[in-house]
Amino acid sequence: MSEKWPLKVSAKEITSGLLHAKDVEVMIGRLAMEEAWEPIGPTPFPHVSTLRSWDHKLLGRYKPFYAPFCDYCCLCTYGKCDLSKGKLGACGLDLKAQQGRIVLLACCIGAATHTSHARHMVDHLIEKYGHDFPINLGQDIAVEMPHARLITGVKPKTLGDLAYLLNYCEQQITQCLSATHTGQEGSYIDFESKALHVGMIDHLSMEIADVAQIVAFNFPKGDPNAPLTWLGLGVLDLRKPVVLCIGHNVSAGIEVIEYLEKSGLGGPGQTVDIGGLCCTAHDITRYRDQAKVVGPISDQLRIIRSGAADAIMTDEQCIRTNVLFEAQRVKTPLIATSDKASYGLMDVSDLPVEKIVEMLVSGSVPGVYLPDLEKAGAVVAVTAIRMAPIRQKFKIIPDTSQIQSAASKCTLCGTCRRNCPIDLPVDQAVFNAKKGSFDMLAALHDVCLGCARCEQVCPQKIAPLTLIEAAAQAKIKTEKYLMRVGRGPILDTEIREVGSPIVLGEIPGVVAYVGCANFPNGGMEVALMAREFARRGFIVTLSGCSAMVASYYRNEEGKTIYEEFPGSFDRGGVVNVGSCVANAHITGAAIKIANIFARRPLRANYEEIADYILNRVGAVGVAWGAYSQKAASIATGCNRLGIPVIVGPQGSKYRRMYLGKAEDRDSFTVYDARTGEQSWVGPVPEHLIIALENMNECMVWTAKLCIRPNDTTKGRMIKLTHYVDLYKRIYGRLPPDLQMFVRTEADIPITFKDEVVQHLKEVGWKPWEKPSVDPTLLRRLVRV
Amino acid sequence: MAMTVKPWQWGNVPSHEMATPVKGEVVPKLMKAAKRPLLITGGEALKEKWGDKPLIDFVAEVAKIGIPVIATADSYKALRDRGVEPAAIMSVADVTNRLQDPAWSIDGKGSYDLVMYVGISYQLQSQMLSTLKNFATHLKTMSLDRYFHPNATFSLPNLKQDEWEQVLNNVVKALKS
Repeated sequence: MSEKWPLKVSAKEITSGLLHAKDVEVMIGRLAMEEAWEPIGPTPFPHVSTLRSWDHKLLGRYKPFYAPFCDYCCLCTYGKCDLSKGKLGACGLDLKAQQGRIVLLACCIGAATHTSHARHMVDHLIEKYGHDFPINLGQDIAVEMPHARLITGVKPKTLGDLAYLLNYCEQQITQCLSATHTGQEGSYIDFESKALHVGMIDHLSMEIADVAQIVAFNFPKGDPNAPLTWLGLGVLDLRKPVVLCIGHNVSAGIEVIEYLEKSGLGGPGQTVDIGGLCCTAHDITRYRDQAKVVGPISDQLRIIRSGAADAIMTDEQCIRTNVLFEAQRVKTPLIATSDKASYGLMDVSDLPVEKIVEMLVSGSVPGVYLPDLEKAGAVVAVTAIRMAPIRQKFKIIPDTSQIQSAASKCTLCGTCRRNCPIDLPVDQAVFNAKKGSFDMLAALHDVCLGCARCEQVCPQKIAPLTLIEAAAQAKIKTEKYLMRVGRGPILDTEIREVGSPIVLGEIPGVVAYVGCANFPNGGMEVALMAREFARRGFIVTLSGCSAMVASYYRNEEGKTIYEEFPGSFDRGGVVNVGSCVANAHITGAAIKIANIFARRPLRANYEEIADYILNRVGAVGVAWGAYSQKAASIATGCNRLGIPVIVGPQGSKYRRMYLGKAEDRDSFTVYDARTGEQSWVGPVPEHLIIALENMNECMVWTAKLCIRPNDTTKGRMIKLTHYVDLYKRIYGRLPPDLQMFVRTEADIPITFKDEVVQHLKEVGWKPWEKPSVDPTLLRRLVRV
Repeated sequence: MAMTVKPWQWGNVPSHEMATPVKGEVVPKLMKAAKRPLLITGGEALKEKWGDKPLIDFVAEVAKIGIPVIATADSYKALRDRGVEPAAIMSVADVTNRLQDPAWSIDGKGSYDLVMYVGISYQLQSQMLSTLKNFATHLKTMSLDRYFHPNATFSLPNLKQDEWEQVLNNVVKALKS
């Protein structure tokens, strides 16, 4: 245990004239947090290697599969070292270890980002509301922070407690990061173990960040009926001054709203329209649902270049790093508020609001760095109001009539396409525009990532992204969708309702569409997949950019999935938990199932809970457009907790998957906790993280990865029905591995019974001798 | 003199050592010379064109000549509709993972000697070729797509659509002869 209390005393039994107590622990120094709510488990505040044996169990079954993105190591001055084809670097490292090292580095970056975010948020809120501000998520949520309880053994009660927990997170990330230094760790397995560790820490940090903002800003506390809000490039009211908030830390954006409200200018949309991009957008609508979500990260350049914003406020993460340049192009002042992203701007903290506004409005500076959030809120609001009549929504996206001349220099050299991350035929679209046909350009708007790499490389200095947006102007004006505001955590009452059907398999799975917007074929695919699984009765949860793009599909009645399906964590529910940091509530729900429904001890009992989830909770994460280091650490944290993850084809650039081999029976053998005997349970789940090629393949695998050893016959039959149905629809035949999941005839899907029976006969299937076990990978959980 | 070819995706420069770019006429020779060839195809084969047909028709032709095909993503159904039963249906990561094992093959008859990819999205294919380049040095690999893949042992250079279709036509013709 790395975290030490000043004094810890424990006793099995104490008897005195006043007291008789068992399993008593007193920790003097942090006493307020350490009430005896549950006996402490085996791994409070786990250190880097405390859960290593669990990691090695996972990595024994799900072996790291490496796909190097680069064959060199260039991290020290001995290099560059060529590690290809078995060569060692100057330090002795081989290519597999180097991949594990880079993955660990990515996870450390991701976890550090959320932890730093949480630190900023918690410190800001303590300053604003006080150290003792209570953690209260309402009467339907008693298990307020499942990750905190599970990992540290602490039941936080105040914002101050959260600050204390962040010390632990920061320490662990530093420890893991240090292992990536040259000449430290040399085993790819142990690099992976550390990546899993820091991924776990990431979920704790995310939970801290989100719970802090929920309680302090009074965001929805697990409300299934959280309000709907407007989303899309066409939602901003351009008749009004517009503030654009970009990033992930909503503290700054909320100060703008507070300033407007306190000044009598009304909430978002009254005097000033407020829109957000990326997770700040989610969180600003959790604060006031009249605020609007412009879209995911991929819409940043589009909306800035459209000239809609009269002031841009940035906080942290997922911001275009050339945002200052882009803002200048459309004469929009930039107010940067985070020390993590200050863009070389002048720190104006010591100047009065009026002076700063004057500097921005006069154009004497293009932007300012202002980490004083309250002051920043005032500056942004006033600047937007004053800039609106001056700017007149000045834009750099040309009118349709100008597209052809802008494209006239295109030689169809193909350079733009060869630098497009997803290989879009930008060259042909621009060339067609040169000839007067804009349809192909306009169509690219739906799939383009908005990164503008094409513009950096065009030898003719054509700006394809700008032309795409110009060609799609008519469509963009119609892009107005309704999205349910992020509701935050799952209620304990919901867990009690669905715990049993999830664990028994009768709700066929929980599918979480999470993460970024590096989609291989546009965000619509996420919407289609989410709708497919909601219609099938899975519980669909969403967060971040994926939660946004899921609203792009409208059904035959014109409803988005947030209008079509209920927002409850129940069969067929579509649950937007909120921003990236709200991902912790999805994994937190899996933890709560183990604790609230199955009554497994939660406190500092990580290994047992993860083992429970791996074997019983049919949950799958789908990060179809994952791009960031944060997504890498979130996924890796899911993996340590026993939750498999699918990433899109671009996710193969993370360099590493955790792949099982279905034919390796030994690796899919578990203990039967009732008898201690070892049994093969089939390849369930088959992988922990895998990159897949397209949406069709993803849907089949999503259904398959929900299968768990603990499924009842009814549950297995239901899960197989979805797997077989999707497989037949997409492949036109039964799954060739079906026999690995059918334990007895009662598992056979009724709707496909005849053909499945025929298939089983053909492959020589026999009913399993032990179809039902109490599965665990942990010998210590065997009860005999 | 050897051709110098830039990777299709300019940023995809994995090493100083990149695939040997091969001319179209060399491709069927390499395929014929292989004792244990394997062709892996994927979802892009349903979208890419081979003349007025989808690329999957080319894959079906090759399969009918006798080269075993593994269908990844959603390419299986289209192959079956063309009268071809692939050797296996797997994800591209699953098959690539197993190919690292020199003892592994679908038919249990030992290692392949030439593994070819066609109709799989560029970046995913590149990553799979990187795995085999570095961790399956017993294998030769080749991309039949029209983009230069630096991680393959052999790759076509970056070709125009009509040039590439001509290469594929010649492959079919040569394999049939």
